[in-house]
Amino acid sequence: MVDFLFEDIFTLTKLDPDGKKFDKVSRIEARSEQFDMYMQLDVNTEIYPLHPGDKFTMVLAPTLSLDGTPDSGYFAPGGRKSLADKFEYVMHGKLFKISEEGSGPNVKVEIYVSFGGLLMLLKGDPSNAANFELDQRLFLLMRKV
Amino acid sequence: MARVDSNADAIRFTKEPFVEEVGPRKIKSMQFRTFSGSEICKSAAVQVYNSSYYDSTRNPVEHGLLDSRMGPASKFGTCATCHGNFTDCPGHYGYLKLALPVFHVGYFGTIIDILKCICKSCARILLPDKERKDYLRKFRNPKVEVLQKNAYVKKIIKRCSPSSSSRCIEYGICGYKNGMVKKAGTVLAIAHDRSKIVGGSLDECRSAAFNSKHSKGSIQIVQVFNPVRVLTLFRRMLDEDCELLNIRDRPEKLIVTDIAVPPVVIRPSVPSNDGLSNEDNLTTKLSQIVICNAKIRESMQGVAPPSNCLNHWDTLQVEVAQYINSEVRGVPAYMQKDSKPMRGFVQRLKGKQGRFRGNLSGKRVEFTGRTVISPDPNLKITEVAIPILMAQVLTYPERITRYNVEKLRQCVRNGKNKYPGANFVLLPDGNKIMLSFGDRKRVADELKEGYVVERHLEDGDIVLFNRQPSLHRMSIMSHRARVMPWRTLRFNESVCNPYNADFDGDEMNLHVPQTEEARTEALMLMGVQNNLCTPKNGEILVASTQDFLTSSFLITRKDTFYDRAAFSLMCSYMGDSAEHIDLPTPALIKPVELWTGKQLFSVLIRPSANMRVYLNLTVMEKNYSKVGETMCPKDGFVYFRNSELISGQLGKATLGNGNKDGLFSVLLRDYNAHAAAACMNRLAKLSARWIGNHGFSIGIDDVQPGDGLNQQKSQSIEAGYRDCDDLICLYNKGQLSLQPGCNAAQTLESKITGVLNNVREITAKVCMEELHWRNSPLIMSQCGSKGSPINISQMIACVGQQSVGGRRAPNGFIDRSLPHFPRNSKTPAAKGFVANSFYTGLSATEFFFHTMGGREGLVDTAVKTAETGYMSRRLMKALEDLSVHYDGTVRNASGGIVQLLYGDDGMDPAQMEGKGGIPLNLHRLYMKIKATCPATSSSTYLSPSEIERIIDERLSKHDMTPEGGCSAAFKKLLLDFLHERVAALRITRRTLDLDEDSIGDNDCDVLEIVSANVSGITSRQLQVFLETCISRYHLKRIDGGAAIGAIGAQSIGEPGTQMTLKTFHFAGVASMNITLGVPRIKEIINAAKKISTPIITATLACDSDVKSARIVKGCIEKTVLGEVAKSIKITLTSRQASVKVTLDMDRIEALQMKINAYTVAQSILQHPKTKLKQQHVVVITPHKLKVLPPQADKNSLQFELHTLKTILPMVIVKGIKTVERAVINKEKGKYNLLVEGTNLLAVMGVPGVDGSRTKSNHVMEVEQTLGIEAARQCIIDEIQYTMGSHGMSIDIRHMMLLADVMTYKGEVLGITRVGIAKMKDSVLMLASFEKTAEHLFNACVSGREDQIEGVSECIIMGIPMQIGTGILKVLQRVDQPQEFNYAPDPIIS
Repeated sequence: MVDFLFEDIFTLTKLDPDGKKFDKVSRIEARSEQFDMYMQLDVNTEIYPLHPGDKFTMVLAPTLSLDGTPDSGYFAPGGRKSLADKFEYVMHGKLFKISEEGSGPNVKVEIYVSFGGLLMLLKGDPSNAANFELDQRLFLLMRKV
Repeated sequence: MARVDSNADAIRFTKEPFVEEVGPRKIKSMQFRTFSGSEICKSAAVQVYNSSYYDSTRNPVEHGLLDSRMGPASKFGTCATCHGNFTDCPGHYGYLKLALPVFHVGYFGTIIDILKCICKSCARILLPDKERKDYLRKFRNPKVEVLQKNAYVKKIIKRCSPSSSSRCIEYGICGYKNGMVKKAGTVLAIAHDRSKIVGGSLDECRSAAFNSKHSKGSIQIVQVFNPVRVLTLFRRMLDEDCELLNIRDRPEKLIVTDIAVPPVVIRPSVPSNDGLSNEDNLTTKLSQIVICNAKIRESMQGVAPPSNCLNHWDTLQVEVAQYINSEVRGVPAYMQKDSKPMRGFVQRLKGKQGRFRGNLSGKRVEFTGRTVISPDPNLKITEVAIPILMAQVLTYPERITRYNVEKLRQCVRNGKNKYPGANFVLLPDGNKIMLSFGDRKRVADELKEGYVVERHLEDGDIVLFNRQPSLHRMSIMSHRARVMPWRTLRFNESVCNPYNADFDGDEMNLHVPQTEEARTEALMLMGVQNNLCTPKNGEILVASTQDFLTSSFLITRKDTFYDRAAFSLMCSYMGDSAEHIDLPTPALIKPVELWTGKQLFSVLIRPSANMRVYLNLTVMEKNYSKVGETMCPKDGFVYFRNSELISGQLGKATLGNGNKDGLFSVLLRDYNAHAAAACMNRLAKLSARWIGNHGFSIGIDDVQPGDGLNQQKSQSIEAGYRDCDDLICLYNKGQLSLQPGCNAAQTLESKITGVLNNVREITAKVCMEELHWRNSPLIMSQCGSKGSPINISQMIACVGQQSVGGRRAPNGFIDRSLPHFPRNSKTPAAKGFVANSFYTGLSATEFFFHTMGGREGLVDTAVKTAETGYMSRRLMKALEDLSVHYDGTVRNASGGIVQLLYGDDGMDPAQMEGKGGIPLNLHRLYMKIKATCPATSSSTYLSPSEIERIIDERLSKHDMTPEGGCSAAFKKLLLDFLHERVAALRITRRTLDLDEDSIGDNDCDVLEIVSANVSGITSRQLQVFLETCISRYHLKRIDGGAAIGAIGAQSIGEPGTQMTLKTFHFAGVASMNITLGVPRIKEIINAAKKISTPIITATLACDSDVKSARIVKGCIEKTVLGEVAKSIKITLTSRQASVKVTLDMDRIEALQMKINAYTVAQSILQHPKTKLKQQHVVVITPHKLKVLPPQADKNSLQFELHTLKTILPMVIVKGIKTVERAVINKEKGKYNLLVEGTNLLAVMGVPGVDGSRTKSNHVMEVEQTLGIEAARQCIIDEIQYTMGSHGMSIDIRHMMLLADVMTYKGEVLGITRVGIAKMKDSVLMLASFEKTAEHLFNACVSGREDQIEGVSECIIMGIPMQIGTGILKVLQRVDQPQEFNYAPDPIIS
């Protein structure tokens, strides 16, 4: 079984907080229920439309294979069964930055991932960031609830 | 005149001994001498006295000007001296004996100077014995330089000239009274004026004359010195006295007695069809001289009346003068010919087309081509496409080896007209076979190894490519040839920048190096790959432009997605389908497989996993919103991590030229030139092909404003107009609150300008916001490929204010700009505000104003090119021979040290990575190391204290010490950076509630992991970082031999051409202008004594208080008595008449000036015009004084009083005379004073001014006040400031070098003809610069010896110069190896 790096249900709070800049891509702001994580994510809304108020499950996984074999880095498409089958929207990207924000008890960790230019910012308690490493390749899987 | 230096042989042999040939000889030095008449005769082959050229049989006349003993006159004749034919004979001199001597024009000034210094009776120098010996000792000092000698001579001349008081110099020995020597009225005549001599016979004469009738006219006793008299005087001069006047040879050689007739080859006779011939100017002039000479001889021999003799002598004088310098002044009218001016020797030498600049310093070359250029993105950046037609003419001599014999055989068979062919075959015996006719097949078959075939150019040959104006070294670079059809030279657009080329019809030149050595050197030193960066500041110059930027910008947009087919196709665009490409995992896997455009860029940079290029960089693009770094909503933050494009839309800042942190710069620095070049090639191909399919064009609909825009525009324009009307209204009422240092009109102008600029900005902003993102002009301006937001808004919204000379449109009519407006109208429209856009069209008046602005731009560019061109030339001449030597010093050609360590750290400006000329960009390097050296499970993160320990250990090693070649500045830079990182780690750990200094044992601690991920560093990373920094720093040392002077000159000269007409600039305060741009650079470089806007920036001792600043200002600004006096009245009492001055003490106190009657009295006494004495100014009370007229003459008393009354208000009672005004300036919360005017010394001395922190922008004044080092710093600062205010960054090392060259002689020397003459010793170099003839003549008089070591001299002599690769001198000891005797020693010997 795959170890997810992160899994939670998010509620979309805002679409395009800074105004719509791109035709096909929108930036969503969302907040998770379980870990109270804050997320910004660029989503290709042309093929996967989202609206404020939508609830979705988001999973970050290191590989798509069901048995947990690590991702090779090469893309080999094929009809094999994979984790993606259960989800509606899957992206692949790379973790490029981890930074801290605030101080004391309110300290938050920010995790930045780029999915080929579509960016994700995940902000929350440091305890949730233990599984993440720099330069990690990971998959983002989404499914509306 | 010139003679090759050779060792004077000590022993004379009866028979010339056999001397072995020592190999090629080299001209080491050159000596300038004067030639005497007998020497001329000796070296000549024939005497010339016949003025005719040819006899009736068309043969040269014996002893005529074309005598065949001086060389063959035509192609068919032979030389009678050496029997060579037209091509072989070098030519031989003839001589022409003058009946009477004449002055030499070139030496005329010297002759007068000598006459000034010698006694006209006994020919001794007019110096007392002691002084003479003193000077002699000075001249004989071996250390004395040419410059000093000339200064002594000048002093002696001054000393010997009759001073104004005595007007006569009496020389002790013979007692003759010498008068003034000066040039007589007519051409080339010398007068000796003894009329002012007092005493002696002259006085008697005068007194006699006084009694006679003609007493009115003063007696003029003026002798005219003719050449014969001067000659006899000179002959009697002692050698010792010559030495004192710096004359190397006998002075009589300065007077022409015989003329050397030059060989026929240098004055060719061209036969014309009608049996006559066209003779050279020199020949005709010589014939005139011969004729004139004959006439004189006749009259001297008594054949002709002797009265004509003097006239003829004058004529001969003029003719000989014109023969040497046809532009000689003062030629009598009857001798001036209206026909075209002839060319004398001086004219042949001087000027741009003259021998020195036109033939010796620059020569015509073969194997060159020139044609129109056009772009071809499919070529590599190192290539140039050469048309086949051109390749068939330009050849390369390839030597046949067994490897290329077959190829060359085919070439020979193809011959001249079939590509790839060959034009000639050179045989080892020196014969040349032409391949245009003859049996080519046979020649091809007979080719042997060692033959040389001049084959056509082929792909891969090395050529030099150049575009004029060649302003910097990147204007000529070496490319590899690609022979292609059609008729243009083509190259990759990425290389447009260094050449400054575009394709609107530009032509470029091509040269083909003809030897392997030349090719290698060209490839290594001038190759495009090795010149990606400019040495001006280390920025990249060869980079993507125009379409490449546009397409990259569009491809990397956040919402470009490609499916598998499209993505694969685009991947194949990048190369020639020969490279292996690994397809990355798509960014979107579900619901559809989609790749983003950014992934395409990741592929472009690292196509396959085998390629080990890990690019790491961050760039802030133009559209970066300044918040959130990578999360920027406009996607303006470019981040590459390990060759993956994480975020950001690529534009000019990343891909374009002129940056140091862009993609190609980083590739070049972190990897190599090849990586950068290959990436540029891929980008060029991809973008050209992609944009061809995608399409990108511009049309009228792109510049159509929408309704919203129109509305907002008219609103803002209306608001602006209203504001302006209000301001004008206020101005008319006189209620305008004045700006500091301005009057009402200036305030109004500056305010209106502000309002109108604001209007344009607002409309521009609205316009940019309203446009759709697909708008082509918008895309182009955003990505930086072409155009600015201003250009767009001018097209769509509003053209804006037109300015002429930095102001609004001037009044061309009485009180108005155009007759369409009412008089004195100051409304925006009447003063050149264009409210329309180019789309809507301009109204008639607007159009007119627009042309006014446009014309100014055109005129400015036209004027500027000439000005900067001359500036560059002067800079180049002054700096050309400076180079870095292997000990790190910068020296000139004669070995004089200009800098002890180049740029204070010995770094190469071309390789500086950081901003402001620092060697490394540590932030980027740190990021790269952290990304490329990922922490593995085995590596451990370091605690802050451990990091510090490692740093200290590493930085104390030898290669981080000054002895090890590391500057203190770099060490500090590195240390500061690392401490900053450590501090950041500490902060992170503190915020995460971890122990600051030691890492806990518990590895699994979540917070530990987080803190490590956030800002931790492993020992491996730290080690790699330190090693990379240090080793890279040491590699950036400048190479020995680098021609750093020439590079510096180009680096300062080239930006000059780009300076726009922004001539003025406000120095913090409105209305305080300072000159900028080319005029300012010129002032600095010329070391001008008087500059147009001298400004002293005075730091105040108490800089936080306005009041104290005002007090100091009051002390600096001049206050005249009229301003502080309550009244200045004439009072007449019965006894005395005086002018009474009452001071306005209230006003004085209000202004906080310390003035009272006593100080005023002092000031009045110091005033130059009053001529008052102490007793004339009487202080009555501390605020009252009276001034008595100096001459109590009753007749003039009234006048005196009134003059006093008019003068007194002008008396400066306080402040500095030379200061125009002082303005208080607030800068970063601190006040300082900007003083407009000169006299730094006085400003520094004003109480309240911190003298040690007071600066002036006047270089010469700084030198006088603070000394040479301060002047040097001032030059550096001023050039940097001027360049900086035009947005140009130039490495400070270049400016340091320039400042050092200007100051290293101990005084500030301008880069002008006077300054350069003082810097350089070489006559040839100076002659090739300016005033060619003067320098040569003076050199001959003083017998200068020129070492051939500078750049100019070496070029003139055709010798490799001692700069760059020429600095190498390999000495090899060729001792005979000792012969070993391997046999056992013979026992019996």
